[in-house]
Amino acid sequence: MVEVALACTELGVVYRKQGRSVPALSDVGFEIRRGEFVSVVGPSGCGKTTLLHVLAGLLPPTSGRAELFDDAPAPSMAASLVFQENSLFPWMTVVENAAFGLEMRGVDKAERERRAIHMLERFGLAGREHDYPRQLSSGMKQRVAVIRAFLGGAPVLLMDEPFAALDRQARMKAQQELMDLWESQQKTVVFVTHDVDEALLLSDRILVLSPSPGTVVSEYRVATERPRSPLCEPDEESLDLRRRIFAALHLAPGLPRYASTAS
Amino acid sequence: MLASIARRAWLTVLLLVGWQALSGFRVLDPLFFPAPTTLLATFGSLVVSGEIGRQVMRTLERTAAGFGVGVLCGCAASVALSLSATLRRASEPLVAALYSTPRLTLLPMVMLLVGVNDAARILLVSLGTALLMMIQVSDAIRAVNKDYVDMAVNYGASRAMVIRKVYLPACLPQIFTALRLAFSRALVLTISVELLNSDDGLGSMILSAWQTFAIEKLYVSIALAAALGLVTQSLFHQLERRLAPWRDQTA
Repeated sequence: MVEVALACTELGVVYRKQGRSVPALSDVGFEIRRGEFVSVVGPSGCGKTTLLHVLAGLLPPTSGRAELFDDAPAPSMAASLVFQENSLFPWMTVVENAAFGLEMRGVDKAERERRAIHMLERFGLAGREHDYPRQLSSGMKQRVAVIRAFLGGAPVLLMDEPFAALDRQARMKAQQELMDLWESQQKTVVFVTHDVDEALLLSDRILVLSPSPGTVVSEYRVATERPRSPLCEPDEESLDLRRRIFAALHLAPGLPRYASTAS
Repeated sequence: MLASIARRAWLTVLLLVGWQALSGFRVLDPLFFPAPTTLLATFGSLVVSGEIGRQVMRTLERTAAGFGVGVLCGCAASVALSLSATLRRASEPLVAALYSTPRLTLLPMVMLLVGVNDAARILLVSLGTALLMMIQVSDAIRAVNKDYVDMAVNYGASRAMVIRKVYLPACLPQIFTALRLAFSRALVLTISVELLNSDDGLGSMILSAWQTFAIEKLYVSIALAAALGLVTQSLFHQLERRLAPWRDQTA
């Protein structure tokens, strides 16, 4: 039997803005298996970030349910969020940032620093442990934020366009590193992006959200063999998938607005 | 280090040398503009007599007391204002009115209530300090990026942890700036209050030098007031550099 890590059922979120109700998400439903890497793509403003905030426990849903099935010590620690920007605390050094999740779980200082430094060294950040975030490039900052999420112990990681602001080289490096981490750590990842190619590279499955209020309009399985690399040329099958996702996003003219679910 | 001192000090040195020359050649009347070397000699004799030490200490005592009380009250008030939006809105006009009232005009009222004593002088100084701290620190608290709060909560931080790990360090740079400004305000207020009503302290020394036409002593005490401000400001800068090292200090 496949174990479900998280599930949304008829999830809806309505914001109140100056007395008016603004629906952000409507009737969102999906299940994500343990250890699965799922990307959520959709036009800007479709509620992707809202969805992650609900899953992270930072925002209560207006209707429906978002459930995480796991054995985390506290509900707030079940899913760690990686932000697009301001993803590190500016007043903590790299190693303090990376070890923050461990610190919150009560791991003692020597142990959490040992583990954080081990991870940082493994991912090319040796020698930067005691720098402050302002001394790092934006690519390095996001890699530290990803490392912190993996170290934090939460079984589910929620990533909110973590690499959107990076230049191409830095993004490729960060993507490769994320895949390496994920393959070695068996975490469930929900990855929000507006970049279809990034979703195709990283994911097992891609959910497409409609414009606001967001709802899941289609989903695609990405069958490309792992390990993958940002340097590999896409094969015919993934190019076809790419076309269908763009069509679902309504970016390719002459195609039906939402392609039907394929697998 | 030497180069940086030279870059900062050359204009001051130039002015002093020019002053000395003009005074030496009697272009300036030494009765009204005594030469810097004469002032230095006066300064020396005032140090030896112990008067300067005594007066500066009195001023610093009052400044420190007013500053200390003011910082504590101001910070406490800003926390209260951050916790309650109702309180903040209700207090806004009062704070604005009080902030734009010249603090010294309150001295007669404070003395009426507390008496003509040091408590009244210190109270006035602390009032000025507290207002400034309150405004600056509540601004700092409000300006904390909510992303960082979310991030800490998401990793399971308790309320106390969020305050210790996010709010405090996030506000620290602005708190330091506020402390520095508040100290300089406290010093200015103390000397002003002493000038108006006091038997000792730098302000009273300036006033009595003026009244007895002790021009050299007048210059020396004014220069002392300026030097006191300069030294304490640079101490606060250094403290800030030590305690908030994540801030970019190159600018």
